[in-house]
Amino acid sequence: MTMAVPGSERFSSRPVDPAELAAQLPESLPVHTVTQEQIDAVDPLTYEVVRHRLWSVTDEMGEALKRMSGSPIVTDANDFDFAVSDELGQEVQVGLYNTMLVGAVDLAIYWTLQHRATNPGIAEGDMFLTNDPWVGGGLHQNDAMVYQPVFWDGKLFGWTSAIAHQPDLGGVGLGSFSPAAQDVFSESLPTPPVKVVRDGVLQDDVADVWVRRSRVPLMIGLDLRAKVGANTVGRDRLLAVIAQYGADTVKAVMKRMMTDAESRLRGKLTAVPDGTWRATGYQDQSHTGDRGLHKITVAMTKAADHLTFDFTGTDPQSGVVNCTYAGMRGGVMLALLPLLAGDIPWSAGGLMRCFDLVAEEGTINNASFPAAVGRGPIGPAWLTGNLVAECLSQMLDQAPDPGDEGAHVQATCCGTWDTAVIAGLDQRGAVPTPFLSIIMDPMAGGYGAQPHADGMDTGGLFCIPLGRVPDVEMTEFLYPVLALWRREEPDSGGPGRRRGGVSASMAITPHGTSFPIGLVLASNGKAVSQNNGLAGGYPGNTGVEYIARGGDVTTMLGSGRMPSDLADVGGSAELQPCYGETYVAPGEVFTMFWQGGGGYGDPLTRDPDDVARDVREEKVTAATAEQAYGVVLDTSGTVDAEATETRRRDLRDARRARGGANGTPRETIDLTGGRRLDDNLVAVRREGADQVACRHCATVLGSGAVGELDLVRYDGPVSDAGPQVVDGAGEYVDVEVAFRQYCCPGCFTAVSTAVVPVDHVDDVTRTSRVLADARS
Amino acid sequence: MAFVIGVDVGGTFTDAVLDDDAGSVVAAKVPSTPPDYSRGVLDVLGLLAEQLGRPFADVLAETHHIAHGTTSSLNALVMRRVPDVGFLTTKGHRDSIFIMNVEGRYLGRSPHELQHVLAQDKQHGLLPKRHALEVTERIDRDGEVVVALDEDEVRRQVETLLADGIRAIAVSLLWAFRNPVHERRIREIVHGIDPDVFVALSSEVSPRIREFARNSTTIMSTQVGPGLRGYLTDLEASLKDAGLVGPLLVMQSNGGAVAASEAPQQAISTVGSVLTGGVVGSQALGRRLGHRNIISTDVGGTTFLVGLIVDGEPERDTTTVINHHPINVPTLRVHAIGSGGGAIAWVDAGGNLRIGPHSAQADPGPACYDQGGTEPTNTDANLVLGILPATGLLGGRKALNAEKAREAIRTRIAEPLGLSTDDAAAAIHAAQNAQTGDLLRKSVVEAGHDPRDFVLYAFGGSGPAFCAKYATHLGVDEVVVPLGPVASAFSAYGLAASDIALVQELSDPAQLPVDPVRAEKNFAQLEDQVRHGLDRQGLAFDRVEIVREIDMRYAMQLAEVTVPVADGPLDRAALDAAAQRFEARYAELYGPGSGFGAAGIQAITYRVRGRGVLPFSPELPPLERADGPVPTSGTRPVYLEIGQGFVDTPIHDYVALRAGHVITGPAIVEVPTTTVVVPAGRTGTVDELGNLHITQTQQGA
Repeated sequence: MTMAVPGSERFSSRPVDPAELAAQLPESLPVHTVTQEQIDAVDPLTYEVVRHRLWSVTDEMGEALKRMSGSPIVTDANDFDFAVSDELGQEVQVGLYNTMLVGAVDLAIYWTLQHRATNPGIAEGDMFLTNDPWVGGGLHQNDAMVYQPVFWDGKLFGWTSAIAHQPDLGGVGLGSFSPAAQDVFSESLPTPPVKVVRDGVLQDDVADVWVRRSRVPLMIGLDLRAKVGANTVGRDRLLAVIAQYGADTVKAVMKRMMTDAESRLRGKLTAVPDGTWRATGYQDQSHTGDRGLHKITVAMTKAADHLTFDFTGTDPQSGVVNCTYAGMRGGVMLALLPLLAGDIPWSAGGLMRCFDLVAEEGTINNASFPAAVGRGPIGPAWLTGNLVAECLSQMLDQAPDPGDEGAHVQATCCGTWDTAVIAGLDQRGAVPTPFLSIIMDPMAGGYGAQPHADGMDTGGLFCIPLGRVPDVEMTEFLYPVLALWRREEPDSGGPGRRRGGVSASMAITPHGTSFPIGLVLASNGKAVSQNNGLAGGYPGNTGVEYIARGGDVTTMLGSGRMPSDLADVGGSAELQPCYGETYVAPGEVFTMFWQGGGGYGDPLTRDPDDVARDVREEKVTAATAEQAYGVVLDTSGTVDAEATETRRRDLRDARRARGGANGTPRETIDLTGGRRLDDNLVAVRREGADQVACRHCATVLGSGAVGELDLVRYDGPVSDAGPQVVDGAGEYVDVEVAFRQYCCPGCFTAVSTAVVPVDHVDDVTRTSRVLADARS
Repeated sequence: MAFVIGVDVGGTFTDAVLDDDAGSVVAAKVPSTPPDYSRGVLDVLGLLAEQLGRPFADVLAETHHIAHGTTSSLNALVMRRVPDVGFLTTKGHRDSIFIMNVEGRYLGRSPHELQHVLAQDKQHGLLPKRHALEVTERIDRDGEVVVALDEDEVRRQVETLLADGIRAIAVSLLWAFRNPVHERRIREIVHGIDPDVFVALSSEVSPRIREFARNSTTIMSTQVGPGLRGYLTDLEASLKDAGLVGPLLVMQSNGGAVAASEAPQQAISTVGSVLTGGVVGSQALGRRLGHRNIISTDVGGTTFLVGLIVDGEPERDTTTVINHHPINVPTLRVHAIGSGGGAIAWVDAGGNLRIGPHSAQADPGPACYDQGGTEPTNTDANLVLGILPATGLLGGRKALNAEKAREAIRTRIAEPLGLSTDDAAAAIHAAQNAQTGDLLRKSVVEAGHDPRDFVLYAFGGSGPAFCAKYATHLGVDEVVVPLGPVASAFSAYGLAASDIALVQELSDPAQLPVDPVRAEKNFAQLEDQVRHGLDRQGLAFDRVEIVREIDMRYAMQLAEVTVPVADGPLDRAALDAAAQRFEARYAELYGPGSGFGAAGIQAITYRVRGRGVLPFSPELPPLERADGPVPTSGTRPVYLEIGQGFVDTPIHDYVALRAGHVITGPAIVEVPTTTVVVPAGRTGTVDELGNLHITQTQQGA
């Protein structure tokens, strides 16, 4: 770890008070704004008409960006976003693509207003370019943003912005990802806001400085123009709206869109109980050769209509698994937008007023310069989002009807992005051509289960609602590979009353090149589960990558055989680390198996017919149906009710036995009038005090007067989690990892199920987690 | 004397238009008769004969051909009322149709639904996994066989499907469009086991790169093919029995028809026909009126369909979305952009007025239909505003309950927003028009055009009440409301006017420059297929038109753009010219400089479109000339402009209008099938065919 760099503090952008920011601006930069009276005076019709028009402006910008971009990460996988902001940078309308970026856009605009207003000035016809994750705009250097001030009548009216992930912006590693980086100086150079368009003209000198750093300068040049083009579309359309309705009216609508979103989110928060919820998760390995676990921990406190996310206790920055403040905020947004604001317009500037972030400097999700941050979005920012989602879901699970449109509860989705950069020589055409790309198939992750629905199988990534995977034929057309398979993997979704969505795997072998294909790998969640279950649901599968080293699949194919798993391929199966640089040679096979979603509720309470359907549809194997769900099927695939009942009783008995419970009868309580806490717990008011009881067997588990719930804890081998979780932590880290489950001492229904390091501090039994006013 | 008949079978009504070569036109409408739609077809044909005062058999005997458009295949797919089919695909890749490229989760959802990620699902799979089986085989991108087909395994898999009661099998293998040898062998094996099993091959149904869409297209075609075959065989037999001599033709989504006997093998090509009838009708009318650039807006009770005609030709598309699946089918481009007259107005949790996307549908319908609907719709607002006659629709045959409309708007909109009921209704009307303007603009601009270069056509029951206003938002100066004898059956009119159109396509993706010999071979093969197909229709054509196209893209960019390729011997210069057209069109669509030429251009899919031009096109009869001032049937208070409240507005009965009559806005024209608003500042002119043209009132006029 390199020492702190004096002078780098200047580049750390933070949320600002809009009034203070406005007051700091020089006289040379007059801004257009409206009064509260003007905002209140907008009539409902005008509001709706202008709001809809602004939506279409934003949408057209996104379409323009998507169509013009040359990066398959944009065009095929939709890793980009765009926004329209007010004069101070607050986001009025955002795209539905990479939602983490929403947490970073305004930070860059605040910084630009603070540091560029006087020199070189912010003027009509300018556009700025940045890829500095400390300034904002993106979460790592590969996220490059182009944004422009929009002027009306000589006053700064608002901003448009377009960001997209760039395939390579230089640095030591292919794709600007250096798994061994010690600091940011091994990575792509962070570029603070620089004026790339002046007076409507793209500046060749700046553009050249920008593309020169890349291994694929032509593509970077194209994407730069695509972003300039998208902003131009945005400005032209925005000015047309202003010309028609007047600047004051349009601005009043913009401001009201944000306050509308804000007040609706505040209303929703007010309606759920106050309390504090905690979650802790890990990055396993921080860089090539590391064998440590690196922790992010969050305590989310909801009081009245406000949330505070306190990350105090998070581990110090390390290796490449760091993100800046923008990443932490982006992580919060990836969870908050779909869980709390699925039915509220995404006027993010308003939504972001409803929470505060508390974090120590120099930690893995609030990293200080010059930490390496290349893995920021897909490592620590994503994990931040997973943990925030876990807290929000626990909070919302207390709503009377968690299936209601307003309150969404979801176990963790696919917990990371398994990166594989491929590069080599395509010898299929008349002229051999070099290629460099990222394998996009891991976009097909599984979603977490919800109380009223199974997780979506190969539903995608939670942070990119409109993500997609390319067709295998397009991959094979563009790159010299042959895909042996790409398929959903049974059992990869975490077992639960509602099952986690399954993920998929794929296998490729070089085809059309006589050279090995270079590979850069980065992933995590190998040693400790990241796709956690909720309310007793089990975690989803462990992601694993293998190379069949020394295999000769070419000969096998020629003899009429198509392998269907790694064992068929031959050679030795070489497990890949979280971070590494390697190759796959002709005849060898590279397989990726990314993460599915976590389960919701105890799988022993799942409707046996749903399990039978899962077996029929190959989402679950018959063996797992029996072991994890306790459901026995006859030869025709229908439920053997009697055997299932026996099997489920046996499994509960086994939990009782391994938990060391003594079988003493417990006190039960009449659940009439009880209030739902989650899938397993209920609060019952008796003599002015809340009792917590098991929803299934009515056993009393605690009361507000006692700090701890009476649950039976079991720690065992990771293999107890089921076949989807690989019991191989020792391959990656030195820390011991265990399966841990808490059960009701009465009926032995699982209340919490996890795969965690042995020193993991749980929050499951804290009574105040479910009863806000309980003793803690 | 010979007739041409167009029959449009919709979910609710079956419409027909008959015309002859002497300038007479008859239209008829009967209820559709699901599940056996053929009864409705016979009913409507009987009604035509009755209106002509001729025996049914005589009319059929004198009919040159019947062009039939049907929504039944599309409905079957959308409602998922299709028989079980089997699917055979390449080992390792069965799950393509379950993974759905992830996009199957959100394709075809409205913006409102897109944002609500946790409410989405993938519960619309095409078939259960036990009916999707794999066979060992592999072909690579260059068409080389990498793994030979395991024929014994194919037999086992087919036996498994047949044992499960499957009678139709879709076969779609990776890269089969580059080399169909394995797919064809599989069909031989299936037919060796049971020659009656329906088999569709992806290399024939949709020989285009990208396996997910190709798989879905082949499977959906297999799901509707046998049913369509049964329906058309029976209908054609009934019609022949009744005296039809000429052929029965089926409309396709490409805007042209195909012989009934040829349709089932390409069943998927017929699914969109019901959506495109209005565009074809606009094109036909546009030829008469001399309009070459038309925005066609078809607004019904539950749908709002937009199509474009540019320089006399409909805008085309190569892909559509059905049940959240991408489907490869050459089609006229039709965007569904809203919910028509039934769109529900509501106040959201933030206290804001919203219109749609939810619709009251046909059941319960708008509140004023008095069928139990309590939510206010556009139609309710129009009734409260006096735009719709209090006496009801269809000349009073469809009664409307104004109190129910007022009640819905008062309780759901006016009170929450603190407005009067009248002002709330006016706000709904105005918001609807502005939003329609936004969405139309998006459709036109994203197709690379400027709305100001277009004339807007508005039809369907609900369109004419709004069109002049949304045209203003769009910047379009002239609006045409097609009226006259075919007003109520505009789609059927389009059908009667259509020619035979066949399309064949083949993906052969390669970086330019492509060897002209290779390109010519692709086109020659496709053209041969098209010409043979036209020969099989059993029709005499005036002439045959052939168009060659290539879908091209920049190597690193996703968007494919279709460009025409010149006829005649294909040489390097012709391909270079096509590449230049691609670059020009790309710049037009996505902006100058947006293409990344340095990465190279790729030719992806070759396509040949053939049109057999029939020796008939319907002639509309002229309307009598006006010989006096515009007759007015009275006035009523109508609220058209926000803030102005009710103004006594002239009402015109369309039936009394004659060619040359000029109506000065504000005015309402009541047509038996629709209501037209001519706003203040606009003038309506009746043309010689009975259509109403609405234009800006000339200064000083």
